[in-house]
Amino acid sequence: MSAHIPTTIICAGGGGVGKTTTSAALALALARKGKTVLVVTVDPARRLAHAMGVEIDERVQPAHVEPEVEGKLFALMPEPRRSTPTFAEILFEGRPDDLARVMKNPVYLTMADAAASMHEIVSLVLIARAVEKQKFDYLVIDTAPSRNALDFVSYPGRLAVLFEGRAVGWLGGLARRVNEEGESVKDPGMFAGAQARIEALFARILNPRLLRELAQLFADLALVKDRFAELARTSETLLLGSRSRYVLVAAPSGSAQADAIFLHKKLTKLEQRPVGVILNRSDESPPPWLEVLRKSAGGWPALGAAIAQVDLELKTRRRAGDRLSDGLKKAIGQVPQLRTPTIEAADPAVIVRGLATALTPSLEQLAGR
Amino acid sequence: MSQVASGSQADTSGEAHTPLGPLVLVTGKGGVGKTSIAAGLAEAAARRDGAAMLIEFGDGESGKRILGRNSKVIHRVVDPRVAMEMAIANLLGSTILAKLFLGNFAVRPMLRAAPAMRELAMLECVRLYADEVPGKLVVVDMPATGHGLTWLRLPVQMRDMFASGPIHDLAARIVDRLVAPSRCSVVVVTLPERLVLSETVELCRALDREVKLPPARLVVNRFPSELAPEAWDQTRALIARGGPEGEAAKELLRVMDARRTAREETLTILRELDPKKGSHVTSKLLFPESLEDLGAIDVASWLEARGAA
Repeated sequence: MSAHIPTTIICAGGGGVGKTTTSAALALALARKGKTVLVVTVDPARRLAHAMGVEIDERVQPAHVEPEVEGKLFALMPEPRRSTPTFAEILFEGRPDDLARVMKNPVYLTMADAAASMHEIVSLVLIARAVEKQKFDYLVIDTAPSRNALDFVSYPGRLAVLFEGRAVGWLGGLARRVNEEGESVKDPGMFAGAQARIEALFARILNPRLLRELAQLFADLALVKDRFAELARTSETLLLGSRSRYVLVAAPSGSAQADAIFLHKKLTKLEQRPVGVILNRSDESPPPWLEVLRKSAGGWPALGAAIAQVDLELKTRRRAGDRLSDGLKKAIGQVPQLRTPTIEAADPAVIVRGLATALTPSLEQLAGR
Repeated sequence: MSQVASGSQADTSGEAHTPLGPLVLVTGKGGVGKTSIAAGLAEAAARRDGAAMLIEFGDGESGKRILGRNSKVIHRVVDPRVAMEMAIANLLGSTILAKLFLGNFAVRPMLRAAPAMRELAMLECVRLYADEVPGKLVVVDMPATGHGLTWLRLPVQMRDMFASGPIHDLAARIVDRLVAPSRCSVVVVTLPERLVLSETVELCRALDREVKLPPARLVVNRFPSELAPEAWDQTRALIARGGPEGEAAKELLRVMDARRTAREETLTILRELDPKKGSHVTSKLLFPESLEDLGAIDVASWLEARGAA
């Protein structure tokens, strides 16, 4: 099945910079222009999901933060805690017996459950499947809040190497060489070849039962190698193809600046040039209303104090925004900057709408024509 | 007056704070100020006990910056690759064998594709570092990726999956010395924002239920300071006058309301963790909004003043 490849916008940045909100806002801004958009959140926030009218699960659902754009905006917010069954269900679609066996394999359950990157792999597989089934103009992906977030770009390839290379066969064979009584491989002695030595080390680390379960898992996964390869190829085209666009997200807090510079370096290694860096909560100028109020607060101490407090916060924020902007100009000056203001609201839907409006003038730069 | 000193009246907990340690795991979403709180706790302990350790994941830049140059805190950074080598060398009793093993064509892709092993190795590395300072407080700034819970559940899962053998022993060692409720305290850091807070409540409950580690402290960072109630009356009076002033006052009212909502929502959501509702989270700390980057010494002083260090 060949899929229509949409323009894919991948948002990357450190934690707490508003990546999830920015992704939703970009998607909304595109939907307002009449585009059909799918926004995918790898690290879903329940409240944001509810604000967009979607559930956190494995389905692509119509989303809305404004009544008039309903139907053009879709969201996929997979539940991290269901990654393990979801991954197996997709790979073993139409093979109930094999699926049941894998879901009983303790190695699969523990490894998959404990692996932090499992959820990202599952999200990619879900994206690839969604794109096969439905035509989207744009895909907006919100990556995990980490410096390693871009590692997921290479997961499909890494897993493919594991499946297609000699490793799986060798690992399966190793289990056969462990005898039925459960004795481990004999120490081959000083002069044995490197392979035999590695086998002995393996047996020393793992116990025989586990080795057999591991081999069974690889044998089962080998059954669906082709299906996996197909999904991996689609993800790779989405993430590293000619229609992929990377957007860095930063904010004046903690290590966000260092994270953005680090991610830029990683992207350069992947031969990707970010189309822009969004500086959230980086107001540029004092709001005119503050000046107006300052003149009228005389004689009202409580109001004066409130204005002073808000003014102080805005000023400090502006200074922090300027510092961030200067720092990024110095380090990654070639990447165009987009400063967005702080949006004072408690409701996530209001913040998404406000940010979408703030990003609209730069939409062509971020999303292309 | 420093920003840190103000706003302390807003704390929800009048109870004495339970003592921490000997190992403190600081967890929370990225960007909530986890590293500042972790560094502050280590700094306070170093002042009290003469030494303490801060263990960080990643590149260690932010810990170094927050601690400052003159800190007595011993700073260690866990690098995934080094951790894997350390752990395997410990298992096999030889660094050379570990290098040979990790360099193997089948082992390498398997470990890269099965990161549970890498995480276990990183925890083992934390254990080895912590052993360097017996009797001193060790604060771990946990990684922001994944669910904070995954890291704490992993050693038990691995111990039970590997019924015997060296990995079982390794996992069991980590369970006993690192994540056992008698050994470690969990500190959860969060922000006064709806999205972040509701996730935090879920995390606190799960920590209690699933790994028997209810947070010893819950710190809400960047809590906005309180404004006088009269400010609202006066702003409304200006709005009633109309004209450009009235329009400007509307904008101010919006900002003031947003700050107040953040305060109120935080307190409401935190009430879900009331001990009367069966929650074991007794220490809730509201760290005042301080817009500039704080150093470890500021945070340490604030925690000491609250008896929470």
